[in-house]
Order: sequence, then C-alpha cells, then structure tokens
Amino acid sequence: MSNSLVDKFLSNQEGSASRNFFLSALWWSLWGMSAGLLAGLEFSMPDLVHNIPQLAMPHLRMFHVNAVAIGWLSMGYVAAMFHMVPTLCKTKLWSERLGNFTMWAWNVLMIGAMCTLLNGNTEGREYAELGALLDVIVMVGLVSVAWNIYMTVVNRRVKKLYVSLWYFLGSLFWFPLVYIIGQRTFVSLPGLNDAIIGWFYGHNILGMWFTTVGVGMMYYLLPRLTGAPLYSHGLSMLGFWGIALFYAPTGTHHILQSPVPEWLKAIAVISSIFLLVPVFTVLTNFFMTMKGKWGMVVTDIPLRFAVTSCMFYLVTCTQGPFQATRWVNWYLHFTQWVVGHAHLALLGTFSFILTSAFYYSMPRLTGRQWHSQGLIRAHYWLKFLGFSLMMTSLTIAGLVQSAGWHHGIPVDQWVIELVPYWFLRSISGIMIVTGQFIFAYNTYKTLYTRAVVVAPAAKPKEVKV
Amino acid sequence: MYGYRLGAIGIVITFFTIIFSTVLMPMVLFQPKPAHTGNDYSTETVGNAARGRQIYVREGCFYCHTQFTRLQDRGYGPLVQAGDYNYETPHQLGTARTGPDLTNEGGRFPSQWQKAHLVQPRAVKPGSIMPSFSYLSDEDMNDLVAYIQTLGNKRLPQHYVEAPDEYRDTTEAGRALLARRHVDTNASASANAGRGIYTQNCAACHGLDGRGNGPNSITLEKKPANFTRPFYKQYDDSMWFYRTSEGVAGTRMPRWNQILTEEQRWYVVAYLKTLQKDTEETVDKLEDVEKAQQVKLPVLSHEEYEPHTGGGE
Repeated sequence: MSNSLVDKFLSNQEGSASRNFFLSALWWSLWGMSAGLLAGLEFSMPDLVHNIPQLAMPHLRMFHVNAVAIGWLSMGYVAAMFHMVPTLCKTKLWSERLGNFTMWAWNVLMIGAMCTLLNGNTEGREYAELGALLDVIVMVGLVSVAWNIYMTVVNRRVKKLYVSLWYFLGSLFWFPLVYIIGQRTFVSLPGLNDAIIGWFYGHNILGMWFTTVGVGMMYYLLPRLTGAPLYSHGLSMLGFWGIALFYAPTGTHHILQSPVPEWLKAIAVISSIFLLVPVFTVLTNFFMTMKGKWGMVVTDIPLRFAVTSCMFYLVTCTQGPFQATRWVNWYLHFTQWVVGHAHLALLGTFSFILTSAFYYSMPRLTGRQWHSQGLIRAHYWLKFLGFSLMMTSLTIAGLVQSAGWHHGIPVDQWVIELVPYWFLRSISGIMIVTGQFIFAYNTYKTLYTRAVVVAPAAKPKEVKV
Repeated sequence: MYGYRLGAIGIVITFFTIIFSTVLMPMVLFQPKPAHTGNDYSTETVGNAARGRQIYVREGCFYCHTQFTRLQDRGYGPLVQAGDYNYETPHQLGTARTGPDLTNEGGRFPSQWQKAHLVQPRAVKPGSIMPSFSYLSDEDMNDLVAYIQTLGNKRLPQHYVEAPDEYRDTTEAGRALLARRHVDTNASASANAGRGIYTQNCAACHGLDGRGNGPNSITLEKKPANFTRPFYKQYDDSMWFYRTSEGVAGTRMPRWNQILTEEQRWYVVAYLKTLQKDTEETVDKLEDVEKAQQVKLPVLSHEEYEPHTGGGE
C-alpha cells in the first residue's frame, strides 16, 4: 500500500514531473493574477475592501509579486525545462520521482507564502519578502531541479549542447546563488549596502533567471514551431555571453539617485547600455529564423504567443537601457512607468513565452489534443489586448506622475488625475485574469475529458540542432 | 571537445567576477559613517518607534512611500546622505512613489492628523488613495505614528534666526529698549494681561490656545506657528519681542510695532512664554481622534495686574 501511495504522489511515469509542474504553475497563476487584479482595483477604488488586513493593497502586492514570480513563472519554467532538456538530450529526465518531490515542495512553499505574505509576515525587502524557512524550501527546490537537469545533461545521447541548454544550465547555476545572496538571512548590512545587494538580487532574479530561461525557451520553441533551423549558432553564443557578462552588474541602476558610490552607479549604467548588444543579437537571430515563416503566425497560436513574446522582448529591452541612463532615470524613477516596464518584461515577454511553451508541450506530454482552439484564441486576444491596454495606461500614468513630481505639485492633487488610468489598468487586469481562467478551463477539459490520441503532430519535430 | 568545459569555467569566472565587483567590493569599500541625522533603531532611545518601524515594514508602507529625498524633490527637505541609512536594515528606500516621500515627515503634521490619516485617509486628504489601516490595533497605530514622527526629526537646523542686535544688550538701542522695559515677563499677572491682547489680535490666526489653528489659518499658505511646540522653549525674551514687533518675513504675520505699543508687546511676550508643552502631544486613544477637538483655554490665575501707562512711547 505504501508503495502505491508513493507511486501516486511521487510518480515515476515519464513526463509526469513536467506535467504536474505545469498544472501547479497554472493553479498559482490564477491566485497571483487575481491578487494583482484586486490590488489594482484598490488604486482607483481605495475603499473597495475595508478592514480586512489580508486584502489590503500592500499585502496583496507582496502576494501578487511572489505568486506570479515564484509560483507561475518559476514553476512554469521548471516544467518547461523538465520537458525541453530531455528532448534536447534525446534521453529521459534523470529522476521523475525527484522532479515530483520538488513539485510538492514547491507547492508547500507557495501555500506557506500565501499564508504568511497575506498576513504581512515579510522580511521587508522587495522581491525577497519570503521568510527564512520558506527561503530554505526555495533553495531545496532549486538545488534539486538543478541536480535533476545537470544529471539529465550528463546522461545525454547527443554530443553537442544546443543553445537552449546553455541558457538553462547557466540559469540553474546563477539563480540559486543570486537567491542566496539576495536573501541576506545571515548577514545584516547597513541600509545602503542592504539596498545595493537588494537591487543586485531584485534585478538579477529577472536577469539571471526569468530572462535567461525565457530566452532559452524562445531558442527552443521558434525553430520547433516553424520547423526552420536556427539562423546562426555563432550569434546565439554571442548573445549568451553578452547576457552572462552584462546583465549581472546592472542592479544599481534602481538606486541611481541615492548616495551610493559613483563607481558602482557607473558600472550599472554602462552595463545596462551594453545590454543592447545581447538583446539585438538574440532578436536578430530569432527574426532571421522566422524569415519566410511569418505567415505561420496566423494559424499556429503557440507560435503567435512566442512571436508576440519576442516583440515585447524587443520593446522591454529597448526601454530598459533607456530608463537606466541618468537623465531619463532622473525623470521617470519612482513612477508608474516603471510598473508598466516591469509588467512588460514579466507579463508581456516571459508569461507569453511560458504560455507558448505550455500550449506546445502539453499535447506532447499527455498525448491529448487541446480541447478547444477557439478558447486558445480567446486567451491570446484577451491577454494581448489586455496587456497592451495595461502597458499604455501605465506608461501615460507614469508620465503624468513624473510631471507632477517635476513641478513640485502636491501628491494629493495629481493622484486624482491618475485614477482614470488606474481604472483602465483594472479593466486590462480583468481581461488578463479572464484569459487565464479560460486557459485553466481549457486545460481542465483537455486533461480530464479527452481520450489519449497520439497524433503525429504531437511528436517532437526533428530539427537540426 | 573541451568547448563546453571551457564554457562552464567561463560562466563560473564571469559570474564570480561580477559578484566580486558589485557585491563584495561595495561591502568592503563602501562604509559610510553614521551621519547622526538618521535614526538609530539599534538602541532603544526612541521607544515605541522601533516597534512602529516593524509595523511600517509589515504593512508594506514602503511600496508607496519612499524615504529617499533626491535633488529634484523640492519641498521635501534636505538631501539624504549615505550615513543616514546606517541603522535602516532592511532598507526602506522605497520602490515607487504613489504617496509623498517620508524622509522628513516627522513633525510636519500633528500626531492626531497622522492617526486620522491612518484610520480614514480621505477624511483628512480628500485626494488620497491610501488604503485605510483601520484594522490596526490602537497600540500598533500609536507606535506607527511614533515612528513616522521620528522621521527626519534629527535634522535639526544648525543656525536659528536670532534677534538682531538692536533688540539685544550688545548695542546702544538694545540697551535703551531693555531699560525702558518694566513688564516682568515671567509674572503670571503679565501673562494674564498679555492673554487679553493675544485674544484680540493674534488668536484669529494662531488659535485661542496657541496651536496655530485659528480660523484664518485655513486661508494662509504659510501656516501660523504652533506655540505649544517644545521648540519655542529656547526663545529668549528678546527673540520673542523681535518676532512680535517685526513679524516673520515671507508670511502674512504683521509688523505689530506699527499697531501695538511696546508695553503691550511685552505683555504678549509674557503670555506666549507660558504656552509651550514639554513634549509633542499625541493622542493615545482612537476615540479621541474621532471626537471634535475641545478648545482648552489656558488656566486663568486670580492675580490682578495694573496697567502701566509710563514707558518710552
């Protein structure tokens, strides 16, 4: 009996770890995005929720950030890697049991995060709000994922490493270290040093994890979905080393006007601008790979998600270095523009590529075709239009707000001017959350009401790597 | 064949070089000395404010309020210095500004205002979008207000305005002025006399009990002084007399030497000196905030005063 229980909860079935991770990610995305929507509604209707501390705006914000970053995106990334790495290595995942164990640990972590963050039990550091015990669970999860993936690569049956693997392996080396440094559980540094390390972490959780795994997924998905070989292996290496070199020191551009050492600010600004090199290298590679295949975007919706993601990547990574320069930062810092930029990276770019990976991988993992193509289209348009509206309203709100600061107008006078934009942002939030619920419904119908049909299209396409 | 091993070594070396340059180097090279203008929460000198800071962190106030005055933030007080943050761990520099910067918030509003702002922000600032923190316990709210009132309060000015020489005994004119004075500014009889003059001339702006909340204060851009602040204890007679006589430049405060006699001004000085409290006043109970503020007149003594008709004028 115990054996069957172990088989039930720590399944050894091929692809089960990836599938379970995908489903957990989807589950936490519903919570995280709904929390974000409610927090957004409270900007234009501050008395919407009264006297419930768990639903106060700051508590919702902590939970929103952690649920979306650690629940939805990180779990989804692990799921995608558990599917892509074995495919690229032409082997099985090293241990499905370890993968499923990680999945349970990660879900326990998310339940803990939900219980603590909504009550305000926080370490008070942005993006590192989780308490020390939960940090330990994150580390256990990350180390076991890294071990699983490294052992899979060690046991591979192809000699060369495809560029996606470079990105995945690099991320799994960088991210646990960045996370340990960012938590500062064992050191207490004076305020400004705390801020320097805080933004090293805050920016590199994006740069050394979300970006690198996300770009690795783009490298995997675009050639597979279009059936075209990658344009240039040399360019992909240049992009990889560019990110490895230029991304990590940029964090200080978040505190560019604070009294931290000037040499540190100089490193941050210069490497932020150099980031344009890997970004344009990577995107040149993608767009040349897409050459002659743009028409497929009309019919192939996972590809449409992936290409949209690349487009938002172009926008966000042009905006980023622009904002990191001193004079633009001087004007735009601390405004809603920055909130829009953060959503452009995490929602526009990496959530889209993760959704593409989800739609691409799920039939290949379970052998079931999607329940409804119409619902996938609805998801795409709700998410795309909703996000475009969010981006526009937050960008304009940021410009209005920075003009308010610039002219020294009291806050309570210009904040009224921003309420319409925040209302538009709430509408966009409703669209995005509706899209995500449609996504969840479609997944539920696919997995639990459809028979297994291994269609030829569902097998991985052989592509020259 | 060694390609990926070289690559792996490359990744490791690159990453640790960056950690070295942007994490370890600042830890070693960047050691600002405490500026003595930042608050020291490692000691218990500020009492409840240390707990109030934990509540500030717990409630996520830093998501909307920064503690980070920059060059371009006009009207938010002096620029922050590196040493200000030596006791601020975790740092509360902030991340976005949906509300005002709080670096120098302490003392800018009365504690009652701050507490009412926490209970229902829109009752005291109609445009505010701050969520209501009415779910906080009374103790939590008092501590949080105590913390907010400490922010920036150590940035005391280095030089105060002093009464000019013609009001002090360093010059001929000053000595003549003091020689003409026959009002004992420390006697409660003089204060009683001054209270009548104050009520007729000053209370419209400064309020009946000197809190700076008279009916005219609503219309004034530069708010009238609150004489109950402990700050005013350091004023000596000549400074009070100078202020009363010549007003405050840049405000609507009149030059009373055009209106009141020298004797009357000395009586007013005697009254003003009785108004200071020992500490800034805070409200300890939530109910006190919601009640309308009672006007408390200063206690009248039964000593009589005799108007002096002599003097230099």
